[in-house]
Amino acid sequence: MKMSNSITRCDGFVRRDFLQLGMLSALGMSVADLLRWQALAASPKKESKKEISCILIWLDGGPSHIDTFDPKPDAPKEVRGPFGTIPTAIPGVRLSEHLPLTAKAMGDIALVRSLTHELGNHNTGRHYLMTGHRPTPVVAYPSLGSVLAKESGFGRALPPYVIVPQAIEYTQAGYLPGAYGPFAVGGDPSKPDFRVRDLNAPEGVSIDVEARRRNVLTALDDFSREVEEGLATLARDAFYEQAYKLLGSPAAKSAFDLKKESRAVRNRYGSKSIGQGCLLGRRLVEAGTRFVTVVDRGWDTHVDIARNLPDARFRGSGKLPALDRAYASLLTDLRERGLLDTTLVVLMGEFGRTPKINNRAGRDHWPRAGFVCFAGGGVKGGQVIGATDAHGEVPSDTPVRPEDVAHSMLKLLGVDPHKEYIAPGGRPLKILDKGKMIPGLA
Amino acid sequence: MNAARPSVALFFCGAVLATAAERAWHFPTDILPRLTQAGCNAGKCHGAATGQGGFKLSLLGDDPAADHAAITRERGGRRLDFANPERSLFLRKPSRDLDHKGGQKLRNGSESWRAVRDWIAAGAPFGKTELRVTKLVVTPAELRQSAQLKVTAHFSDGQTRDVTAMALYTTQNDAVATVGKTGQVTIERPGLGAIMIRAAGQVTAARVAAPFKRELANDFPKPRNFIDEKVFAELSRMRIPVSPEAGDVVFLRRATLDLAGRLPASAEVRIFIKNPDREKLINRLIGSEAFVDFWTMKFADLLLLDSKKLGAEPARAYRDWLRQQIARNTPMNQVARALLTARGNLTQNAAANFQRQKTDPRDMGESVSQTLLGIRVACARCHNHPFDRWTQADYHQFAAFFARTRVQGGELVLVERGEVRHPRTEKVVLPSPLGASKTAKADGLDYRPALADWLTRPDNPFFARAMVNRIWREMMGRGIVEPVDDLRVSNPPANPALLDALVASFVENEFDLRRLIRDIATSRAYQLSSRTTADNRADTQLFSHAYLKPLPAPVKADAIAQATGQPDAYASQPKGTRAVQLLDAQVPSYTLDVFGRCPRTDNCADPTQFGGGLSSALHLINDPTLNAKLGPAVDELLKKYPQPRALLDEIFLRTLSRFPNDKERAKCLKHIAEVKDTKEGWQDLLWALLNTREFGFNH
Repeated sequence: MKMSNSITRCDGFVRRDFLQLGMLSALGMSVADLLRWQALAASPKKESKKEISCILIWLDGGPSHIDTFDPKPDAPKEVRGPFGTIPTAIPGVRLSEHLPLTAKAMGDIALVRSLTHELGNHNTGRHYLMTGHRPTPVVAYPSLGSVLAKESGFGRALPPYVIVPQAIEYTQAGYLPGAYGPFAVGGDPSKPDFRVRDLNAPEGVSIDVEARRRNVLTALDDFSREVEEGLATLARDAFYEQAYKLLGSPAAKSAFDLKKESRAVRNRYGSKSIGQGCLLGRRLVEAGTRFVTVVDRGWDTHVDIARNLPDARFRGSGKLPALDRAYASLLTDLRERGLLDTTLVVLMGEFGRTPKINNRAGRDHWPRAGFVCFAGGGVKGGQVIGATDAHGEVPSDTPVRPEDVAHSMLKLLGVDPHKEYIAPGGRPLKILDKGKMIPGLA
Repeated sequence: MNAARPSVALFFCGAVLATAAERAWHFPTDILPRLTQAGCNAGKCHGAATGQGGFKLSLLGDDPAADHAAITRERGGRRLDFANPERSLFLRKPSRDLDHKGGQKLRNGSESWRAVRDWIAAGAPFGKTELRVTKLVVTPAELRQSAQLKVTAHFSDGQTRDVTAMALYTTQNDAVATVGKTGQVTIERPGLGAIMIRAAGQVTAARVAAPFKRELANDFPKPRNFIDEKVFAELSRMRIPVSPEAGDVVFLRRATLDLAGRLPASAEVRIFIKNPDREKLINRLIGSEAFVDFWTMKFADLLLLDSKKLGAEPARAYRDWLRQQIARNTPMNQVARALLTARGNLTQNAAANFQRQKTDPRDMGESVSQTLLGIRVACARCHNHPFDRWTQADYHQFAAFFARTRVQGGELVLVERGEVRHPRTEKVVLPSPLGASKTAKADGLDYRPALADWLTRPDNPFFARAMVNRIWREMMGRGIVEPVDDLRVSNPPANPALLDALVASFVENEFDLRRLIRDIATSRAYQLSSRTTADNRADTQLFSHAYLKPLPAPVKADAIAQATGQPDAYASQPKGTRAVQLLDAQVPSYTLDVFGRCPRTDNCADPTQFGGGLSSALHLINDPTLNAKLGPAVDELLKKYPQPRALLDEIFLRTLSRFPNDKERAKCLKHIAEVKDTKEGWQDLLWALLNTREFGFNH
């Protein structure tokens, strides 16, 4: 099955502009007032002692749980699949044979094996995991990254929320102002010519000229009487402000430059985009970004997992070895740099895959079971939380729902999941209205 | 328990049995809706794919036969106790008499509980199998104040029944209206909303339009056409005033962008100021080549015209064919017919490329219904649509229209073997249009002409509506229904009378695209200012003022090129090719990507979905290509306008389509005087104008 049509949704749909409800806010505020009020309410007074950032490695398409983190070596062949298993740093716990580096790093990882929900469509599943809410036609929910962006504000030169490489659906700001959407680095971090574009003035434009031009622009924007302030213009203004902040900070710009990293470190993460993307993520959180989503596509393995998951065709052709190297290297790198305690690393996709291999030697969607790996940021590593039954069909212990994942992430990141935001139209909305802490996670 | 009780109980049961047996029970309309209302068959309960606790029901009751079998016959029928109906597991669990993970869903003794009990006592019959609910009628259909809804089910045998107590009510906007379990609607505050009603396997909605409580200071302007009549009528009812008319240069810029996809040239602005004949302008723009380029691009976006998918030659031929239709103003129903029925060589019969959007007939069905009918049927692939009327049967019958086309040897051909099966019955399904129950007539092997006939009929409720709504959105910045590809019963139009009138006019005028565009452009509603008043500031759906529109990516890129007089060079394209003229999104351009052009892999109803944001701002600020245009632009301008004031006017006219105001003039002339290198000073100004908020918006 191809990558989903982003429009087909079974349980509703999400559109930012659907929220234009056409009413005055109960308090009689104008839109501009509302946003200023929100911005004031959100700006952090003081950094808390231990600010936790997040790197979300998103395996788009739905990674098979049985072929990765929840193998079933004792199940019949048509369930256990073509791969063997290996022991890990946690006694008694085994992973797919194609995750050897991760197996060694299990001491840092809290592996949830009992993720469960009912939304088996790519976009509904993705919405659920990215926002912590089931999709509904009535509200466009913000991604967790956008929530973090709002809570962090734009005090720093680096954007608070970055996505590597491109924004995909449901990673955006939903009912929050557009300024809290992700900044996409674009391109492919594994390519030798990778750079984030437009971070430097064009040749021949000196710093003085930059400043001069900015001065004129500010004046002209000020003097224009033609375009009224509204949601769209405020977003545009916010983006320009963010842009200038970023441009004015060599340290921030340098965080995007992978060439600043040694060959050795770059090789360690592996040459595929997931590896270089994780490395970029590390650089960004190191430099002050609060939430980085690294998107790795290609996990929708309906066909021939023996060929597509390991390096069956040639080195680097498979999904698993690249993931293994990227993930384990990220954890090790963070640990070595003393960043693991303050960086929550989450590894997941929208759902697991069918326990029974299908007639194309692959697996299909299976939201009833799936995995989430947590590490860092105060997580208690070296444990497995929850389990699935003998065939990996449903949780047999400690079912964990996507709202629980979202709730736990927010709490670990220092955000109150029940905090209320005001959506356009004056409607108060809790960030999450359901969900609880995953037991024993931290 | 004393000895007298059992006999009393027996007597009581007997009495109940007697009355219960007299009533003609119909499981799908008497019992099943109660289960839906109680939430038993919701997606997270027994309606889930694998059910709950070993008990599986169809999602929201879309398969009454299977549900009846599950309840009455599964597990040796142990869920029901005919001798002692009240002891049935089917009653005891949801009423929490026994442990029930789902909580209490029925209250012991409630009306629903008693109905179920009586039905069990009657032997839990299915009832007449052919009997079906054909529609729901809700009154009032439109609420301007709090009210109690009444819902009537119409049956296939002509009978009607009040199902108000059995329906499931959901508000689509709880800030405006809330609804209780029994259909009592309370208006919370003025605004628009809808109450979605589900009962007996059907869906309908009541529109909420609660007016503001105030007197309007001024009358509405005199309507110029039927569009104004409908727009102003609803605004009047809602007590929302309109903004004044937009000024001439604002209108010039807006109309040129909306109709021709470009900025007006500075000369056009100067001429229009002297002679602001708006109708003449509209006609000139609609008759221009730029109009054809722009609207061809829009339709190519809609049709996902992509050379990577179609191949370079077919894609080029397809675009040329499309452009020809726009240039000739071919009626839209004929265009649709051609798209649906073309076959043969993909370069010579380029319209056939429409049918290559997807290879699986079900995916085609989804794509075609979305593109041409504005309907999202995808949910109905696996079960009946939860928010709309489409059943799984509807879905597959529609998909069946597309089962017989294949691409073979550069041609679109029809094959004999090609079918769609209903996933549950596994029977072959014959093509039938959405909402129709009759199988379509084939023309030999070809069912598609029947589809085209149905789609383009004057009384087809979907095609004209979807088309009109899309065109409205292009011009006005927002559809009357949003999203434009999600027209459904539970998503009512913001102004139903307006949409109906536009549809009627469109059909009456034989699906004439230019006429529709002209009618919109000449209306007062289109020409309102985007500046709001205190009382219409919050209106975002009823067109009391013009809504800001960001410039689409190709238009923005072209605007920069035109304003600087420095065209862009696109790979393998003749010099001077504008972005709106490009074949598709395969032509490499980081600028167009970052500005958010439609990638044509998926529907792009919302132009702000892609691109924009911080990356776009950085690009405008630092793009070396943009920067490289400034020098040559200023050099040329200085030759033509050696005087600073005149030059300043010219660059304002080119970029913002107006003269500078006093503050702007003073600041800019001061800047030029202060900067050592005059040329650099002018480059700064030109750069700044291209980066202003005002430049980037169509206001």
